[in-house]
Amino acid sequence: MYLRIMHSPELLKGTLQTIILKLLADNGKMYGYEITQRVKELSNGSLVLTEGALYPTLHKLESEGLLTNEKIAVGKRVRKYYLLTEIGTSTVLKKIEDFEAFISTMFNVLQLTPLRT
Amino acid sequence: MLTEEHINYIIKDITYRGIVDEELGDELVDHISVLVEEKMKTGLRFIEAYDKTIGAFGRDDKMLELQNELTNQPNNTYVMIGNYFKVAFRNLTKHKFYSAINIAGLAIGVACTLLIYLYVSNEMNYDRFHKDGDRIFRIVRHGSLNGLEFDHAVSPATMAFSMVAELPEVEQAVRFRRNGSYLVKNPDSDESTKENGVVFTDSTFFEIFSFEVIDGSADASLTRPKTLAISQSAAKKYFKSVSPIGKTLIMDGKDEYEVTAVFEDMPANSHLQFDFLLSMSSYEGANNQVWLSNNFYTYFKLREDVNPKEFTAKLNDFYYGKIEPELQRFAGVGLEEFRAVGNHIELEAQLLADVYLTSNFTFDIGKTGNEQTVYLFIAIALFILGLACINFMNLSTARSATRAKEVGVRKALGSYRSHLVRQFLTESIIISLAAFILGFVLVVMVLPGFNLLAERTLAIPVSDISFAAILLMSAIIIGVIAGFYPAFFLSSFKPVNTLKGKLGMKGNNSFLRSSLVVFQFFVSIVLIIGTIAIQKQLDFIQNKKLGFNKEQVLLIHDAYMLTDSREAFKEELSGLNQVISASYSGFIPVNGYNRSDNMYWKKGVSPGETNSASTQTWAVDDEYIETMGMELVEGRNFDKNLASDSMAVIINEEALRKFEFENKDEWYIQTFAYDQKTGTVLSDVYETYHVIGVVKDFHFESLKQNISPLMLKQGNSTSVLSVRLSTDDYKNTIEQVEETWKKFGPGLPFNYNFMDDQFNKMYRSEVRLGTVFGVFAALAIIIGCLGLFALATFMAEQRIKEIGIRKVLGANVKGLVLMLTKDFSKLIILAFVLAAPLSFWLLSIWLNDYTYRIDLSWDLFAIAGLVAFIIAWATVSYQSVRAALSNPVESLKSE
Repeated sequence: MYLRIMHSPELLKGTLQTIILKLLADNGKMYGYEITQRVKELSNGSLVLTEGALYPTLHKLESEGLLTNEKIAVGKRVRKYYLLTEIGTSTVLKKIEDFEAFISTMFNVLQLTPLRT
Repeated sequence: MLTEEHINYIIKDITYRGIVDEELGDELVDHISVLVEEKMKTGLRFIEAYDKTIGAFGRDDKMLELQNELTNQPNNTYVMIGNYFKVAFRNLTKHKFYSAINIAGLAIGVACTLLIYLYVSNEMNYDRFHKDGDRIFRIVRHGSLNGLEFDHAVSPATMAFSMVAELPEVEQAVRFRRNGSYLVKNPDSDESTKENGVVFTDSTFFEIFSFEVIDGSADASLTRPKTLAISQSAAKKYFKSVSPIGKTLIMDGKDEYEVTAVFEDMPANSHLQFDFLLSMSSYEGANNQVWLSNNFYTYFKLREDVNPKEFTAKLNDFYYGKIEPELQRFAGVGLEEFRAVGNHIELEAQLLADVYLTSNFTFDIGKTGNEQTVYLFIAIALFILGLACINFMNLSTARSATRAKEVGVRKALGSYRSHLVRQFLTESIIISLAAFILGFVLVVMVLPGFNLLAERTLAIPVSDISFAAILLMSAIIIGVIAGFYPAFFLSSFKPVNTLKGKLGMKGNNSFLRSSLVVFQFFVSIVLIIGTIAIQKQLDFIQNKKLGFNKEQVLLIHDAYMLTDSREAFKEELSGLNQVISASYSGFIPVNGYNRSDNMYWKKGVSPGETNSASTQTWAVDDEYIETMGMELVEGRNFDKNLASDSMAVIINEEALRKFEFENKDEWYIQTFAYDQKTGTVLSDVYETYHVIGVVKDFHFESLKQNISPLMLKQGNSTSVLSVRLSTDDYKNTIEQVEETWKKFGPGLPFNYNFMDDQFNKMYRSEVRLGTVFGVFAALAIIIGCLGLFALATFMAEQRIKEIGIRKVLGANVKGLVLMLTKDFSKLIILAFVLAAPLSFWLLSIWLNDYTYRIDLSWDLFAIAGLVAFIIAWATVSYQSVRAALSNPVESLKSE
């Protein structure tokens, strides 16, 4: 289980990277716990990221060069903030465009009426 | 807010839970701290809040899963594998001694197994290249006549084509008749050559077997009398580059045969090995209609969709239908009476592909293998490979004490168990690969020698990709198997314990190690006992009183080619100083010469099943008994000046017992007369022979067989001239004999050998078995000792401090050596106790084949046990003595 959520997990599996990248694009630098809280908040509690899904994704994005980190030590505690690199920033737009296109395709395919209209 | 103390607690706790990745550790600590702080805001105490947080996390499992996921990301794998190899190489080169022993032991095991694999796969792949091979069979007969069990591969001359004519299931058949070797000559040349690969066969030969005809026509060959087909190499030998079709060859100096076809040489993995196929119509007895006379090898092809089992039943009915009238005519009994006294004959259809491995007949058409030997070899291969793997496991686990520290440090530095397992497996796979390469090189080096020993032409299938793939796969599989236990065992250590120096593995681990040593020596001792026993049986055969003197007898072959000058040749030879006597007879008391038997009975009784004896009838001359060094126990020898001696015979003691004469006046025996012209036995005319002497029983077949009744009579059998010599200078003597031969038979090849060599050939397979056993026993011991040596080295290293303290406290060297070797001694005694009964049982089975055999006495086992013990002691004591002699100051000064 990657996400502790009320929606079907299959639906959201592919979107975790997009979510993280978008959050970082909007908020600058964030640390792990902050990201989980923000996701919970934005989804009104229906989407809860688990650590088991979050950290591997963060590390993966980092090793791919999309993210970088800043460590700030508070006494014995070390807080690790993640922020977008240049490549990361350009990828975010691409990912979101892709996702939008995907969603609208799905609307068409499944013949749904968009809520916004 | 959390205090520093709280943070420390959290760090300690998650480290305890197995999180070693520094990056992740930091993140988790922060993450958990925030969660705990939130919970504490609701009024919980730190410890409660922490407990809840960890609980929500999913405890250790989830945390470790997370850690694994992070470290196992694909972009790390490549680097890690490179690292495994790097570390493995460093480890192997650091411990050169252990690596060398591991690789050497495994390489020897691999070489043995590879060699045996080549041998076995060769043995199991005979005659599989024929088209429709699953429908081609040979007829063999099993049964019992007058209480004598028999197994023969020959059947009546008329069998083959009666089957084709009368049994619709049979598509085609072919016969073979061997008639010994021939001297072959091209009419344009003066030289003739002795050829063994000569056989009479039918024109259906090429229809049944898939031997390619490359010159001439397969259909038209072998149809007429005096025609033959020859192999490609024979064509090259006798006709050079000219096409031999239509040309002639002279067989045995008198018969001209016309070549009608040339066929491709028969492949080495065919049990049929012939260079000259003579048309069956040229053979006199080919039309013999008697069903009780069996001289022809019969092969046949069934039609498709015929069930061989059902057919065999039908074939037996058919056969009994044919022999019944003849039983009536010759023996005066019907089928029922024939069966009532325990006689029976069964025909069996032997599948072509089974002929090579499952035939065990006194005479056979070609070379045959031995199924048991093949299985024995497979077993030995598995054992030796097992020994080598055990060695490897043993050494790795033994060294775990040294490596335990390494494991501890690695774990403390952030290694996970899966990494360690992979690390150790990489090491063992590298060792295994190195061993395979070394083993392969070894095989390439020893293969020529092995081929000589095993009389095969084995080759490594270099171009066969699947063979290379199998080899590589086996290397990896063996690496994994051998490394599996050490890998899991070593990686299970708790870092805290190993770093503290507490290993807590003495007990159960040394039990496993001990049982492995016991197993190794168990195998070695079984092999040693086997080697000694086979050697003893061979000595027994060599020194057995045979009833004749096999030493110093020269056998000159093909003497019949001298035709009229035979007697003059013998006369002149007898004149030589070194020659005591000489005798013409093709019947020589070692396997591989003429044999002929016939039914005889005491004169006066009416011949029947119970009172007649199947008796070997040997045609000899008056000097035979003297030349062979046989002993007359009663009566007199033949006298060639006495005309009445043409109907006189000398019998052996066994025959004397069989015929049950009451007094010397009764010494007459009878048999059915034989019509030379028609080739039939006359059931109403008897021939009577007078017994003039009794010769002491002598062994004329392998000692696996009983001595059967035998009689000598004067006759014209001139294929061999046996010459008894009395000389030390064999070279000179043979030269003189050859000169004499050349004088009487210019252009004829001088073929000779010594009777004791021929005798030894009978036991070639035993000698080979003995050698092979010896070699493998030696290898097993070498592998075992390599392991033992390394183990002893290690143990001595382990106990160096203990020894130092003991010495300081006054222990002497003798006591220390004894203490160190005592453990091993116990293991070897245990191995011996297990090995002795097993080898006793196996040897009893083997020796049961021999009518004349050694007894399995206790000293045989004692010697084997002692040998194993001494070898093991020698191996261990070097290290023990070294450890015991070491200066305690050296070992105790550190720490």
